Amino acid sequence: MVEVSRHDIIIVGGGAAGLRAAIAAAEADPSASIALVSKVYPMRSHTVSAEGGAAGVAREDDNFEMHGQDTVKGSDFLGDQDVIQYFVEQAPKELALLENWGCPWSRNDDGSVATRAFGGMTVKRTWYAADKVGFHMLHTLFQHSMQFENIVRYDEYFVSKLLVEDGACRGVAALDIRTGDMHAIVGRAVILATGGAGKIFPFTTNGMIKTGDGMALAYRAGVPLKDMEFVQYHPTGLPGTGILITEATRGEGGHLKNSEGERFLVEYDYGVGQKAELGPRDMISRASILEMEAGRGIQGSYGEYVHLDLTHLGEEKIMSRLPMVRELCKIYAGMDPVHQPIPVRPVVHYMMGGVDTDIDGATTLPGLYAAGEVACVSLNGANRLGSNSLTECLVFGARAGLHSLEFAKGSAAGSDDGLRAQAEEEAARVDALRGRKKGGEKIAAIRHEMTSAMESGCGVFRRQESMGAAVEALVQLKGRVSDLRLEDDSKVFNTEVIAALELHNMLDVAEVVAVSAHHRKESRGAHTCRDFERRDDQNYLYHTLCYHDPSGPRLDKKDVTLGRWEPVERKY
Amino acid sequence: MSESKKTFVITRFDPDKDEVPKTQEYEIPVHEDWKVLDAINFIKDEVDPTISHRWSCRMAVCGSCGMMVNGEPKLTCKTRLSDYGDRVIVEPLANFPVIRDLVSELDGFMEKFQAVKPWVIRAKEEAGAVSASNPPKSSKGTFVQSAAELAEFKQFSLCINCMLCYAACPVVANEPEFLGPAAIALGHRYNLDSRDQGLDERNEVFRGEGTVFSCSFANECSEVCPKNVDPAAAVNQAKFGAVIDWATSLVLPRPGASKEGGK
Amino acid sequence: MAGPAHPKAMTPSKPGRTRTAPPQMPASWWSHPRIRTYLLFDATGLVYLLLGLVALRVIWALGAGPEVWDATLASLSSPLYVAFHVIGLVSVIFVGVRFFSFFPKSQPPRIGPAKPPPQPVILAGLYVAWIGVTVLFGLILAGRIF
Repeated sequence: MVEVSRHDIIIVGGGAAGLRAAIAAAEADPSASIALVSKVYPMRSHTVSAEGGAAGVAREDDNFEMHGQDTVKGSDFLGDQDVIQYFVEQAPKELALLENWGCPWSRNDDGSVATRAFGGMTVKRTWYAADKVGFHMLHTLFQHSMQFENIVRYDEYFVSKLLVEDGACRGVAALDIRTGDMHAIVGRAVILATGGAGKIFPFTTNGMIKTGDGMALAYRAGVPLKDMEFVQYHPTGLPGTGILITEATRGEGGHLKNSEGERFLVEYDYGVGQKAELGPRDMISRASILEMEAGRGIQGSYGEYVHLDLTHLGEEKIMSRLPMVRELCKIYAGMDPVHQPIPVRPVVHYMMGGVDTDIDGATTLPGLYAAGEVACVSLNGANRLGSNSLTECLVFGARAGLHSLEFAKGSAAGSDDGLRAQAEEEAARVDALRGRKKGGEKIAAIRHEMTSAMESGCGVFRRQESMGAAVEALVQLKGRVSDLRLEDDSKVFNTEVIAALELHNMLDVAEVVAVSAHHRKESRGAHTCRDFERRDDQNYLYHTLCYHDPSGPRLDKKDVTLGRWEPVERKY
Repeated sequence: MSESKKTFVITRFDPDKDEVPKTQEYEIPVHEDWKVLDAINFIKDEVDPTISHRWSCRMAVCGSCGMMVNGEPKLTCKTRLSDYGDRVIVEPLANFPVIRDLVSELDGFMEKFQAVKPWVIRAKEEAGAVSASNPPKSSKGTFVQSAAELAEFKQFSLCINCMLCYAACPVVANEPEFLGPAAIALGHRYNLDSRDQGLDERNEVFRGEGTVFSCSFANECSEVCPKNVDPAAAVNQAKFGAVIDWATSLVLPRPGASKEGGK
Repeated sequence: MAGPAHPKAMTPSKPGRTRTAPPQMPASWWSHPRIRTYLLFDATGLVYLLLGLVALRVIWALGAGPEVWDATLASLSSPLYVAFHVIGLVSVIFVGVRFFSFFPKSQPPRIGPAKPPPQPVILAGLYVAWIGVTVLFGLILAGRIF
């Protein structure tokens, strides 16, 4: 029989957003029991790979108005302005809190916290700890969280279903990876903080664990996914592996160059104007691809690339500000950025879209909250500015933590028996999948076909035809995935069955991305459609909602919250 | 890209089927620029999906993929395959119980990790005059910390918890109580942080059974650390601090929470 | 792997929910040059124990009368004892050099308000002190001072 454990709030995901939510709730009410459920030990969460920094107004020459305006403009006017206003006001407080908890932020000469320049930001407002910001933030949060006795961790539990009763989310069915047994972890509110879904693409900065689990969980529970067509390509990933080379390289003065050795963002008009390398990511990624199409890319064994030149920065600056970049280049590209330009190409990095939430992190399903990359609170609109997302995890993680606590206080607990029955149904589904030798399809093969379809259909530049082809390919793959063949019938630490569950999740998310992209007949932010090259505020200034439906994804619209920043042409 | 073949000897253990771990060999084509992890992933995807191992970021920062490669603890995502011959032996981390195949038991480590109180501890009375033990805060609510003060602990804050140091340490192998390199380095990291006031609390931990004084300075932890944290330095600095702390306590019996010592 | 580690090594206080295979020592613990150096370092403890016993014997001989003293001195010049003392000297130098190489980094960045000197300076200081003490003893033994 499925074991049931009871808590007040259940947080799924142990990265920055999940940990911040857990700490906020644990601090606010020491009597509340908070479950932190994650498929990996929290310090393995992908927050760890973020490099460049976290944005928050810190300097005398900066203010909330400017941070807000930069963010709205970066979002190509698809960000909700009430959310952005709240975000910029909370950002410095959250970052200061992290400083108080021990985050080793880099310092100015006077001992205050230092900030650096970042793409799309008009002032230096990105707090940093050399180029290991995500690593330090995650470890600071995780270590800080350990002192709260009311945070109960479920490490290496894979949540495969949300438990919904009487129209409210009251828990999760979680597979204990170690034993292979299903657990029902039940409570009064659930927060999803599972991160993005970069692994639906073949070439991504994301780690293996970023399979869109939380998005798929919410989607299948009837919650819409919002703005999923907006997939951020980071301009500078290492060819082959897709390992991220931080935007801080450009913030510290690095140059992008083509095969002619020209700074193409300066020499040609790509709309980034004076900002050049400090332009927003969507524009620079497009520029890099256009350079390659114009025959000014460099051929390598992993396809074409351009150069990111740091050689003029000097060894001292690289070692003090960008030590990890140098380490990564040496290990994974076999070159030293002190002496040679780094080969880079645009790489899938971040999902602007996600589970539709309001400013409190609440979804349309009562009791279900979401924060961080899994959520779409509409801070980032059609294009996120670099260094806003780490802060987003803190600001909206904390808010979701507090609001879910409020909700939990006024909410009845679900019935053990009813929720157990749901978890038992889920256990049967997973049991049927484990060691399913009668199937004919290989996990790796379907995964490969899915990522290829996404790359050709939903790349930096998209066409109606290619997006349509991707949708069709995904529908077909979703049919085939029900006939998976699994070899491993063992219950203990069976990573094959986890991979199968993740593959189901990824296919759901990939389909939503392709369907949402196919419907948006304009070019806005990261969604660039060659058939419709201009932004169309008349017809498309809205958020795309995508609902799960047995007959296939169903689209809907949601208004953008505008405010003092009126949509104008986006030029830098 | 030139391809060649290599044989991987991989530890297999399933507690429901095997009494003791056994090995299984796989001969696969490898690319010259592969890391050891790429080969294991290839085997998992294309040859034998029943192998279990942990990995995620594949860029040497999440700390998941530590394994023994030809008898030495390695972070497999940053270990070049070209450094090895035709036979590569891959085993789970030494000195840890094995859950399955290449997956080792982490909970013992997590207990040691938590035991050193790895969070900023502040004295109860936050108010009062600014002093060395109560550094000033800026108007923005952040501490003033000089670059030099940051540099004092920065190196010890770079640990990714990959646990290679535990697999290498001869004391860990023989003394189950030993807190071990990464945990002690982490406690020491907070002791050295100018924002922290938990030295006395942590020295209580460090003076206990199986802590800093169990270290025989084999220096193996620092030899295998993939992030150059140098935990051996931290452990032995903590020894020094604990001795000073003990000596001061002989001279000055502490009333409640006196400060300084090794800071 | 090269044999079992302590059966409880890195085992959590609450037993895991599935059976585990016991921890093993790394294969390198015996064959690796680095580990051999460490084992050799540990083994020098035996040499010091023997040196201590010799010293005790000499002290005992001091109180046991002139004949015993002379006989003891004579036996100490036997080739076996000379060889043993050479081993002792090598051990001391080996341990000293190893200790010196590790000592600087084991100094905390601050002791109270004081900062220790940079690591190369500490290392140089240790060698200067060593040479100084050796010269001093040499001079005393050669009868140049005292």
